[in-house]
Amino acid sequence: MARVQVAFLAIILLALVISLQIINIQFIQGADWQRKAEEIGLQYRVKKANRGNIYAENGLFLATSLPLYRLSIDPTTASDSLYGAKIDSLCILLANFFQDQPRLNYLRKINDARLNRKRYLTLNSRLLTYAERNQIAKWPIVREGSFRGGVLFEKVYERTYPFKNLGIRTIGYINETGDGAGLEVSFNKQLAGTDGKALYQRVPGGEWLPLNSGAQIRPVDGYDIYTTLDINIQDVAHQALYETMQKTEAAYGCAIVMEVKTGAIKAMVNLGKTKNPEGKLDYIENYNYAIGDQGNTDPGSTFKVASLLALLSDTTLALQDTIETGGGTFQYYDRTMTDTRAGGWGRLTIQQCLENSSNIGISKLISRHFGKKPDKYIAYIRKFGLATSLEPSMKMSGMAKPYIKSPQDPTWSGVTMPWMSIGYESRLSPLQMLTFCNAIANDGYLAMPSLVRKVKKADDDIEVFAPQIGKDRIAPPAVLEKVKMAMEGVVLRGTAKNIKNNRFRIAGKTGTSQKLNARGRYIQKYHTSFMGFFPADNPVYSCIVVIDEPKGEDQYGADVCAPVFRRIADRLFDQDIEVQSSPALKREAPLFQTNLPANQVGYAEDIKQVCDILHIPTMSAKNDELVSPIAGKFEVDWQERKLKPNTVPDVKGLSLRDAVYMLENQGFKVLFTGKGRVKTQSLMPGSPLRKGEKIIIQLE
Amino acid sequence: MRSQEAKINNDFDIWTALIYFLLVGLGWLNIYAAGYDPSANLGWLDPSLTSTKQLFRIGVSVVLIIIILTVDYRVFDTYAFLIYLATIFMLLLVLIFGKEVNGDRNWLDIGGLRLQPSEFAKFGTALALARFMTFQYNNQKNPLLSYASRVAGVPTFLWDWLNMRLAYAGAIIFVPILIILLQGDAGSALVFMTFSLVLYREGLIPNWVLGAVISIITLFVVSLFVREEDLLTYVIIPILTVTLLLIISSRKRTYQSVTLNLLAAGLLIVYVISVEFIFNNVLEAHQKNRILVLIDDEVDPEGRKERYNLKHSLVAIGSGGLVGKGFLQGTQTKLNYVPEQSTDFIFCTVGEEYGWLGSFVTVFLFLALMYRLVDLAERQKDKFARVFGYSVASIIFFHFAINIAMTIGLFPVVGIPLPFVSYGGSSLWGFTILVFIFLKLDAHRESQMERK
Repeated sequence: MARVQVAFLAIILLALVISLQIINIQFIQGADWQRKAEEIGLQYRVKKANRGNIYAENGLFLATSLPLYRLSIDPTTASDSLYGAKIDSLCILLANFFQDQPRLNYLRKINDARLNRKRYLTLNSRLLTYAERNQIAKWPIVREGSFRGGVLFEKVYERTYPFKNLGIRTIGYINETGDGAGLEVSFNKQLAGTDGKALYQRVPGGEWLPLNSGAQIRPVDGYDIYTTLDINIQDVAHQALYETMQKTEAAYGCAIVMEVKTGAIKAMVNLGKTKNPEGKLDYIENYNYAIGDQGNTDPGSTFKVASLLALLSDTTLALQDTIETGGGTFQYYDRTMTDTRAGGWGRLTIQQCLENSSNIGISKLISRHFGKKPDKYIAYIRKFGLATSLEPSMKMSGMAKPYIKSPQDPTWSGVTMPWMSIGYESRLSPLQMLTFCNAIANDGYLAMPSLVRKVKKADDDIEVFAPQIGKDRIAPPAVLEKVKMAMEGVVLRGTAKNIKNNRFRIAGKTGTSQKLNARGRYIQKYHTSFMGFFPADNPVYSCIVVIDEPKGEDQYGADVCAPVFRRIADRLFDQDIEVQSSPALKREAPLFQTNLPANQVGYAEDIKQVCDILHIPTMSAKNDELVSPIAGKFEVDWQERKLKPNTVPDVKGLSLRDAVYMLENQGFKVLFTGKGRVKTQSLMPGSPLRKGEKIIIQLE
Repeated sequence: MRSQEAKINNDFDIWTALIYFLLVGLGWLNIYAAGYDPSANLGWLDPSLTSTKQLFRIGVSVVLIIIILTVDYRVFDTYAFLIYLATIFMLLLVLIFGKEVNGDRNWLDIGGLRLQPSEFAKFGTALALARFMTFQYNNQKNPLLSYASRVAGVPTFLWDWLNMRLAYAGAIIFVPILIILLQGDAGSALVFMTFSLVLYREGLIPNWVLGAVISIITLFVVSLFVREEDLLTYVIIPILTVTLLLIISSRKRTYQSVTLNLLAAGLLIVYVISVEFIFNNVLEAHQKNRILVLIDDEVDPEGRKERYNLKHSLVAIGSGGLVGKGFLQGTQTKLNYVPEQSTDFIFCTVGEEYGWLGSFVTVFLFLALMYRLVDLAERQKDKFARVFGYSVASIIFFHFAINIAMTIGLFPVVGIPLPFVSYGGSSLWGFTILVFIFLKLDAHRESQMERK
């Protein structure tokens, strides 16, 4: 049987070859393959760093990152049977869920990708919330998991701005290439953090497990940015500016509120023209006019304050000294300067020049005094901080450079100084003007504007930006007093007397500059502004409002911007205890007073628990059911709220739930309006109780 | 009848059956492991698992075994051609009603039951071939064939074996091959070539043809591995040298034998040179790539998928080491890295989870089965049983050798399953029928003798 032997020899030979090859693979090349196996099962995956939050001054989120999910599919993963059976129902669900395209569109999209062996297809660009993700995860094909069905949920952190449009241009935005605006870009380095890399191993079941080896770079989460913005003030300023702009159909506008003592910006509103979806005129935050190039224009009459300060600093002139402003026109070389009042103002005191915003008065004073020494005038302007870059303190990108013409400039001419003195020929941003105005309010100390107070990593300060206050005053106190008085006069008697009020005093200056057309001629379009501070006797806030090209009857700063300023000031005065109380009183107030639900009523047990958890020392050991906490200097005392049997209980200060509970326990039928805490009740506390009676409580 | 029953119990080859069940069991464990998903938290008999479906198929196999062992052994002999025709008919049905799976049209869907008739055609062909061999065939030359050969100038030794017997046997084998090739399943068609081993055993193919075929295949492989510029040095010169030595050493140096030798050498050289051409123009792109990946690491970009398959297969086996990672502990075979991990590449799971030891045991089991089958075939007195036995051994051997060779990178990837182990009903049932018909025949070898 030779043939059988030959055949079987061949079999044995082949088996031998196979065994040898297996030995070769598993032992000789084994280590190599094992390494490859690990490599296939290993992968460096980018661990995205969490972007830091941007906070408002009172700890509210201005910007934060929320996890969302992108729905995509590898259309080639699903088996023919699964795909054939379930793709239709998946497409129906997709079409119903997203409501943006018909079922067949989805079907065609997925089918095409499957046929072309495309491995990745975003099903819908709309990102899903976590709840939506969980809902979709139950759908056919999706529920087979990514390995069988091919549907993926990719986690995407989406930047969220809880206050929507409010201050959005200041908060800014950033896209994936790092372009954007505002704080998001300016502080991107701090906010972004560093993406990490980590080695992951694939384990049975297709999950990726992070390996505990040293081969990983941890992502460093971005730092949080604590701004000085106060969302309440921002809201007030936004509303006030927005309404006026709507009314006047202006081109753009901005409003900045600054804390006098520190230069901290409490609000920065920027509104530009746009059309809303219905095609109507609307205003949104589309450019930072307050600091950017577009808002960097002739400051207008507000600059007269600087001229006046320079004049009074360099002379011993009193506000009561006079100057002849004539019949309303004055010739400087080939150019004519006019005053707004027909027929002119005649002879005015220096104070009246500012109050009435007399172009001729101010320019004559300046050119008469500084005519021979323009350098000195410019030196004063520079000293006032008007040519100082605000970038170092603001730390914002995209800030406009202030421009003050120097006498050495080839375009400097005989008419430069007169026109400069009343606010032309310079390029100053609203923030630049406000910084100057704020220095006057701050007894001459130049507080550089700032928007970011701290960079923090959780609770640790990484960077703290202390307020930058100039060491020297920009002018002697006596001179400043004069200018302040003149600015107060503007509101009391002058161009802005429309915003005069009895509650608090405002010092300010209106500004209206004529705009140039393309050929360089002044046209009947205005750039209006109002800058000032309040309360004038003890300034807490300074503020500037700028509205460009208002239309309609009122085109002057006094008529357009001053009322906005007034509205902002009113609201701040009403809500801000600081404005009303003297600084001395403010300091001594116990810190937790405002944080305690003082003068409200609650169950003793609840309040005691809250206090214990928060480590707030409590004093009382009274055992009443209902108490009202009273904040003492160092601890909390409780005031008891006694319940007398068979009388109408006093539910004022209680929450709705507690009040209803208490009243219904006594057999009342409770009706209520409003929300918050009980403010009034329709039956007198302590009056005799009648079962089943109606009681109406009002909450606020 | 009584004595016959007793003989079955005595002569039934329990060892072969034992190896069969060991392999099937091993296969089931590996299918379970390949489909195992620790996060799914399913019971080991969960109906959604592929291994549970396979368990059902194993059950059907047991039923088939019982049927085969109970029917009269003469059924297979008597109805051999009928069964053959039935399987051919099924193959034809596939051509018309076939279901396409992964690009191949070789499935038949009968009321939810998916069958691959090519698996059954194997035993149909084996039965027919065995039956045909039992014919007392007059080995005289067909006059037409002799005449044609002489006119064409075919040398006498060639038409010595070109007789009608071989022609008929060839036809029995080539009809299913043709239909299967039409279905686009080159791998299964290749399996039928193993019947030529049976023909060789039965003396229908002379030694030198086998030698020629082996050398042609060897030359093909060598020519592919050797770069074109080195072809002269490493292939052509050796061929000429061997030819020259043959001529010199031959005792009777007739004009005819020298010419014949030179002619053979010339043909071989032409063949070697044209291998590149054959390779590039006759084979399809994916077939080419499957071969190229074995030779060249840098096959790209078309070969990426083919290399991917092989690479992951090797990684899985290579990372197994001596004793493997343990049952269900494999990572490569669980993550769909290895394609067809429960069907054609099931050996990867063995290699990864049981290491060299597991691989060796598997190879050893197959070798033992092969030895048993050949040994049993050799002891058959009846030609029908013997030829059938050889067919069974050849088919299983071919499947085993090609399947494992391809998973370990010795052979181009050809989609044929590992007998008894791979996932799939048709293949399991096909092999079960083959083995147990043979065992049934073997159990009756005494009575067959009596019959003769």
